[in-house]
Amino acid sequence: MVETKRKVRDDGNQGRKRPKKKVKKQKSSYSKIKARKKSGPRLPSSLQKELERLSPSTTLDSDEDVDSDREIFGKDLYEYEEQQAEEESKKNRRYDPVQVHKSQYEMPDELSEEIKDENLESDDEDEDNDDNYNWGKRNEEASSDDYVEEDDEKHARMLKGIIGMPSDAFEERKKKRGHAVIQELYPESEYNPSRDIVDGDGRISIEDLLNPLREKSGYSELRRRLQQIEKKYGTIHAPLPKADQARLERKAASEWSNKDITKWEPIIKRNRETPSVNFDQKVDLEFTTVGAIASEFEPRTEFERKIAALIHDDKLMEAHKKDGSRLLELNEVSVEDEKDRQNRIAKMRSLLFRHEMKAKHVKKIKSKTYHRLLKKDKLKAASLQMEMDPEAAKEFAMKQERRRAEERMTLRHTNQNRWARRILERGLNTQDDGTRAAIAEQLQRHAALTRKINSMKDSSSSSDDTSDEDDADGSDDDRALLEKAKIKTLEVLEEEDAVPKSGLLSLPFMRRGLEKRKEAAAEEAKLALEEYDSTLKKLENAGGSEDPEVATISGRRVFGTAKAQILDASNKVKSDKFYGSTDSEDDLEAREHGDMVSNRSNDPQKDVNSDSVVILEDTDTHQESIFKNFNDIIRDAGAKTTYEVAIFASNTWKKAKNKNEEDTKVNKSPKLIEPAKQDIKDIEMGFGEDNDTDSEGHMVDGVLSSGPKLSYELPSQDELVRQAFAGDDVEDEFEKNKQEILNEENPEPEKPLLLPGWGQWTHIQQKKGAPSWMLKEHESAERKREEALKKRKDAHLRHVIISEKLDKKAEKLHAKALPYPFTSKEVFEQSIRVPIGPESNPATAIGALNRPEVVKRPGVIINPIAFEEVNPHERTEERSGGKHKLKKHKGNVGKTKIMQSTKA
Amino acid sequence: MCFPLAAPNTFPGQHSHTHSAPPNGSHLRPVTGHWFRFSSGDLLSFLGFLEACKMGDKQENDTLVKVKPSSEQDISDELDQRIKKYLRGEGANLENLQDRKLKGQLAVREDLYGKSAKAAAKAEKWLMPSEAGYLEADGIEKTWRIKQTDLVRAVDISSSRNQYDIVLPELGPYILDFTLSGRYMVIGGRKGHLGIVDMMKLSLIKEFQVRETVRDVVFLHNELFFAAAQKKYPYIYNRDGTELHCLKEHGAVLRLQFLKNHFLLASINKFGQLHYQDVTTGVMAGNFRTGMGRTNVMQVNPFNGVVALGHSSGTVTMWKPTSSAPLIKMLCHHGPVSALAFHSNGHLMATAGKDKKIKLWDLRKFEVLQTVPGHANTLDFSQKGLLACGTGSFIQVLNDSSGTLNYSRYMNHSMAKGYQVGKLLFRPYEDVLGIGHSMGWSSILIPGSGEPNFDSWVANPFETSKQRREKEVHSLLDKLPPETIMLDPSKIGTLKPTKNEQRSKQEREAEMEEAIEAAKGIKLKKKTKGRNKASKRMQKKQEMIEKVRRPYLEQKTKEEEQFSRKKQKVSEEIELPKSLQRFASKKGAS
Repeated sequence: MVETKRKVRDDGNQGRKRPKKKVKKQKSSYSKIKARKKSGPRLPSSLQKELERLSPSTTLDSDEDVDSDREIFGKDLYEYEEQQAEEESKKNRRYDPVQVHKSQYEMPDELSEEIKDENLESDDEDEDNDDNYNWGKRNEEASSDDYVEEDDEKHARMLKGIIGMPSDAFEERKKKRGHAVIQELYPESEYNPSRDIVDGDGRISIEDLLNPLREKSGYSELRRRLQQIEKKYGTIHAPLPKADQARLERKAASEWSNKDITKWEPIIKRNRETPSVNFDQKVDLEFTTVGAIASEFEPRTEFERKIAALIHDDKLMEAHKKDGSRLLELNEVSVEDEKDRQNRIAKMRSLLFRHEMKAKHVKKIKSKTYHRLLKKDKLKAASLQMEMDPEAAKEFAMKQERRRAEERMTLRHTNQNRWARRILERGLNTQDDGTRAAIAEQLQRHAALTRKINSMKDSSSSSDDTSDEDDADGSDDDRALLEKAKIKTLEVLEEEDAVPKSGLLSLPFMRRGLEKRKEAAAEEAKLALEEYDSTLKKLENAGGSEDPEVATISGRRVFGTAKAQILDASNKVKSDKFYGSTDSEDDLEAREHGDMVSNRSNDPQKDVNSDSVVILEDTDTHQESIFKNFNDIIRDAGAKTTYEVAIFASNTWKKAKNKNEEDTKVNKSPKLIEPAKQDIKDIEMGFGEDNDTDSEGHMVDGVLSSGPKLSYELPSQDELVRQAFAGDDVEDEFEKNKQEILNEENPEPEKPLLLPGWGQWTHIQQKKGAPSWMLKEHESAERKREEALKKRKDAHLRHVIISEKLDKKAEKLHAKALPYPFTSKEVFEQSIRVPIGPESNPATAIGALNRPEVVKRPGVIINPIAFEEVNPHERTEERSGGKHKLKKHKGNVGKTKIMQSTKA
Repeated sequence: MCFPLAAPNTFPGQHSHTHSAPPNGSHLRPVTGHWFRFSSGDLLSFLGFLEACKMGDKQENDTLVKVKPSSEQDISDELDQRIKKYLRGEGANLENLQDRKLKGQLAVREDLYGKSAKAAAKAEKWLMPSEAGYLEADGIEKTWRIKQTDLVRAVDISSSRNQYDIVLPELGPYILDFTLSGRYMVIGGRKGHLGIVDMMKLSLIKEFQVRETVRDVVFLHNELFFAAAQKKYPYIYNRDGTELHCLKEHGAVLRLQFLKNHFLLASINKFGQLHYQDVTTGVMAGNFRTGMGRTNVMQVNPFNGVVALGHSSGTVTMWKPTSSAPLIKMLCHHGPVSALAFHSNGHLMATAGKDKKIKLWDLRKFEVLQTVPGHANTLDFSQKGLLACGTGSFIQVLNDSSGTLNYSRYMNHSMAKGYQVGKLLFRPYEDVLGIGHSMGWSSILIPGSGEPNFDSWVANPFETSKQRREKEVHSLLDKLPPETIMLDPSKIGTLKPTKNEQRSKQEREAEMEEAIEAAKGIKLKKKTKGRNKASKRMQKKQEMIEKVRRPYLEQKTKEEEQFSRKKQKVSEEIELPKSLQRFASKKGAS
């Protein structure tokens, strides 16, 4: 209903309103109307706009007009919505092509608009003057005819104002258009561009702007340039949406940065290919010396500055220089003085050194006696010094006193403590040796100390010596006593030689008597001396450490002829020693004698070695008991060996030969009798492999084997025969052996066997034999075995068996699987064929062979990689030898470039 | 991992401590005259040369050959050869490698190896200046006609001191052994005479009598200790003759050998039992019955530590302490094997048999290289590869003059009549052959037998006690475990050898079962938030088991597939046309 009504009204208005509609594209009004009407489908404003453009004279438009007319009355209610519409229009402005095109003209447009607005406002019906968003409304108001006219006029004026052409020119154009007088519904504005602008007519081109300049100078040039510009740049397209723009930008940037990054490739390639990267280069410690640090010093505080000023004062410096030189002059030392000084120092040094060396040497000497002597010497020297110097004596006394006090404090010398008392209570005799010794020591200590005290009281240094002697152990005491006695007796002996030459005693009978007595005394003395000697010896034996006898024995060990005399000399002493001591040397000695005996007893036929016989006699007389002990040794096969190794003594050597000859003569017969017993090789090799046998008969052979010649040359006949045929069927045996081993390592498959009766129900089955699968399996197994045998290393070697057993223990020495980058066994094995250890490579190559992938000392800071020019065609090895590496300076050119590119 | 087991493998100048033999050593380098070639010289040797010239009845200056190599080409060729030695074979062919990174790495490695080899070669050239001298015949003369008496006149005084006979007839045939450096010798008389001799000073350090049969003596790692195989047991003595150990487990030992890199004392006893004992810990490293009867032929291969035994059946067996069966068993002679020796390069072996043959074997191919007629009771290779054979009282030395492993007669020596040579042993780093015989021991000169340059880090004849102690500790630290003894020690570190045949079905199944059991045994973590529910745990466990089982199953299916494919192929081949198929079964049945 309403629509029809409107149509009618529209018809009425048509004549007046259509042209205006054509010109106008007022979206805001549409939306406003729509919102107001709330009827019919609501199209999005953009669509509506489009529609409008396509068919400017639609019915809807006319409707609108009517509506709008009507709405003038009741507009107040929807004012707010109007505003919204305006905003929409504002939004749309962005997409307004005109706006983009002629942005340079915007300002004047706006200006003119403002002017217009001002003008308009006076005409307007006092509505919302202050409202900024009521342009649309104003446009509606201005829909009256005269307003259009006025508008036209204004436009012309404006153009005139801008271009500077008379408005007639525009008027003319209007007229040319003829009857269609265009009346704007709304005033032209930024948001409401005039129709000619939209259609392209009446657009201001550059030519329009240039035309007025035609007459002026430089016009042609300007034109030419403009033409050029026009040719070059066509129309500028609308900017792309931001997302697209960003994408494009990103694309470009990535391309650029990709290209930029490629410059790193050679560096990276190089670093990847180098066998080891070195980060240890150029570790700059900045300051190397204190001087370097000091030179960098700059005075900062007031105080420092003052001091610096003082130090660097010119005057001072000069003075110092002068003074220094003077000082130097004063300081002059003559060459001789210097030499002297040096000599002195050298002497001192050498003395010191010698002293040191001597001290070291002395310290190394292990001999106790030496040290004892040394100590004594020192003490003597000290006592001498004491005598010379009273102060030293005092000091020494003080020291002694102190030591004594210390000893007293320990109370080890008294027998007043509980332990000692108890032992004394029980009686010393009941104690064991240890405690007795301890008590004795205590007593001794006590005695020494008390004596010391006494000596100090007497202040006589003579008793010191005796006390020292007393310090030694008891046996030493005895020895000293004996020695003294000996000396005394000797003295007595000597003294007696002095014979008075006059007086009673010089009378002959007196002299005779004296001589007799002297002789008796001498004899006595001699006896005494002997006694002393023997006791001394005993003492020494008990000590056991310094045994002269042992030394003689070891010396005598040297064999042969020397033996007899030494034996003679030492026999006496030995006799008492063999029972008591357990010295190994003695033992050997005994054994030796035993051997001699055995020699004689075993080989009665050789009466050789007269000297040994002598020895035997000696030994027999003395040591028969021992021989009993060594009987078993004698029986031993080894005993047949004689002790005469040194045949250098020609005497013995000859004898030995003789003996051997005799031996051979004698022993031929037993040999021929029992050749079967002997090993073939014995005779053949001449080494008598077997003569370690234990039987008596062989022992004889053993003796023989030491003899040369005949015994080896003719083995008996059957031995020869045996030897000759020993390796007769060796080959067959080996073949058999090989077959066995092969069977063991590659066992033959079992023959297909059926259990008797199994599956043999009928005679047909019986005829069939084993089932086919069994046969097949057997066959395949056999084939496999044959293949395996063929693959064996010794397949073509008849005389060799190479074991194919795998050694489980050695498995750990092999690689279980190919290590990662390798794919073939050969390559891997060839790569490890050269040892890289220091034993098999020269020192110059070890470093390179064993260098780790990354060489870096702890604490070294690894800086990020820096760009450097690298020749991509350079080979890595060349560089790996030299010093290449990442530079440390921080000018990170490459990085900054990348950053720039991403920014762009 | 690689070990400097043998001399050629060790780098000689590794610490630039190589020394040329001192003038008082008895290298016969510079001797000339009409027999000898002048190779290089120092003062003393030059004097010797002059002497020889005076003595020689005809002087030919033409025989003085220039020492200098002729041109740079020669030098570079020589260097190349040495480099090749130190490179130990070719590098891998990198062209075929797919992995570029690995290729690069290996290329760098190879380059380093090359550099190292070059440096080593140079060091060898310049740090080992002395060359071994040798006898060279002139015209009709033959080197083996030259007698020791002739040699004495031509050599310097210190060398001539090394010619002597020590006659000790009483205590039976002597055996001897040298230390590594050749400075000390231990002697063992069969009747119990043991002694250590300083060969440089020619002084007796210690001798003593054990009053038992002594069958063999051997030095341990240095001169301080030696082992003697005595009547019942082997014993270890120190230098002062103090008995340190009695090795009762070995039994009555016939031969002893010491493996210096492994510190193992190997012995073969009367009953043919082979024992290995670690002398540092006393642990028995191995104890095997050879099952080949009694033998006294035993020798260690110095290259790999494998012990070789020669048996009466003509076979030679090679053993290592970790396997009870011999590594190698080879039939060398038709008669019993009487002697054995190894070249220090490890792949040349000499055997002598009672079948009057001396054979040289290449141990890489196990083939005879050369057969020389003759008996030998004892054989020994010198450091420079001369082979000494001794039989009766006659000694023959063979050499490989052409370098093609073709040994020919070089020198002869006859002992006094009736002397039975029992043991020949070249003295290391000297041109001296030690002879143990029935009447004592002797020493003769064999020019060109010893290595003229010694490396003090390997063996130093002038070792001080401090150095010896230091070296002892070092060698103990470098001691190799017994399992490193294998035929080819360069295989250490390579991929584990596998038996080429595939494991049987049962084995695989057993393995799978085991793996599954192991998976079942894994304890699950305590989870929270409902994941610790019994059902979840169960599920997880099941999954784990599945995971373990999968590879086995996959393998199985794969194999089955292969098998079926094969089968298909076979069946396709046999398949008859369809029309005839119905007759096939009948045919098969009938």
